[in-house]
Amino acid sequence: MIFGMFDGPLFYLGPIPVDHLVVTEWVLIALIGTIGYFATRDMQMVPRGLQNAFEMIILWTYDFFTQLMDKEHVAKKWAPLLTAFFLFILCSNYSGLVPGAANIPGYQPPTSNWNVTMTLALITFFSVHIAGLSEHGGHYFKHFVSPSPAMLPLNLIEEVAHPLSLTVRLFGNIFGEEMVIAFLLFLAPFIIPSAIMGLSLLLGAIQAIVFTILSASYIAAATGEGH
Amino acid sequence: MRRNRKFYTAVLLLTMVMVLGFATFCMASEGGNVPPISQPAGHTPAFGNWFVIGWTAVNFFVLLALLYKFAYNPINAMLEQRSSTIESSLKHAEEVKIEVEEMRKETQSNLAESRKEAQEIVARATKAADDAKNEIISKAKEDAVNIKNKATAEIQAATEQAKVELKDTAAALALLAAEKVLNRAITDDDHKKMVKQFVNEAGDLLC
Repeated sequence: MIFGMFDGPLFYLGPIPVDHLVVTEWVLIALIGTIGYFATRDMQMVPRGLQNAFEMIILWTYDFFTQLMDKEHVAKKWAPLLTAFFLFILCSNYSGLVPGAANIPGYQPPTSNWNVTMTLALITFFSVHIAGLSEHGGHYFKHFVSPSPAMLPLNLIEEVAHPLSLTVRLFGNIFGEEMVIAFLLFLAPFIIPSAIMGLSLLLGAIQAIVFTILSASYIAAATGEGH
Repeated sequence: MRRNRKFYTAVLLLTMVMVLGFATFCMASEGGNVPPISQPAGHTPAFGNWFVIGWTAVNFFVLLALLYKFAYNPINAMLEQRSSTIESSLKHAEEVKIEVEEMRKETQSNLAESRKEAQEIVARATKAADDAKNEIISKAKEDAVNIKNKATAEIQAATEQAKVELKDTAAALALLAAEKVLNRAITDDDHKKMVKQFVNEAGDLLC
């Protein structure tokens, strides 16, 4: 039970086990959804308060990922997914820093578990290939054998390496950060961990941005003119 | 929007198919045992918990759907509304500008017309005044001529009368003088005849 780890499912939904992580994800999604609901419940022409803040976050991420991609229509198609990635990963990273969260048995930020990060990476993986196929049609497969068919194994490895690197990078960073905070809390419960927690705020935002930027660049590469 | 839904559904389906496939494979190879989800302290979390992976995929797409419902769609609609409002405002401003320009032109033309009218009025008044002046002057001249004529006529009449009176007086005086000189040596008839002749000659000379 040290470090807030807990083994075994929290409860079963029929035959399907539900882990703590999944419940945490539900809470995060409910939180984002609730904020969204209250922010856009009564849309005003001149945004104020919560609506303004929420619009700013959504539009900022949307613009950010749109600028990363060369093609406007591709960006329009995939920016919502990337914004969702960003919000989900950011909230999930920060969920480990919620005061008192460490006292809940079994609680851990979803992104510090590599089952979760791998799922996100898998979604990126499929998105990249669907984006490529929808943009180039059958020609998309040519890029696996370019510049020559001899490169096929390397290209395939590259395609697998992308989601793998996304998975391990996000998981490693957040898991490591959680471990460091847990150890420091164990050794010195006051003041000292707060410095690391401040860094964690930065790290959480950076990892969320890195994951989404890489996803955006993979999609941009798959839909680009290079193929 | 509809195209996005199609693509995202494809991604979700592929992810789920992959998750379920691996899960079935793993469960079959492990004899139906669900692997432990989290590990005891100090261990890295177990990899390959297909239930967590499946749940996460579902959760993520639920989040995406929620974001579409509560963020992207209303915000996009609001942005479109905003842009259309701004567009119509700009259009309206342009219209107002044109209207103001027209009004300015109209005012200027009105002003020019008013000026012209005022000049006309002044010119008309000046002409009327000139006419009146000329009339007064000509009338005055006419009056003067009339008065002069009348005076001349009066003078003429007076002169005539004076002449007549003078003739009579002169005749009487001459008669008196002749009587005194001649001492009634001539008859009255001779006398009168003589005097009249004299007076007539003298009168012609006098006048």
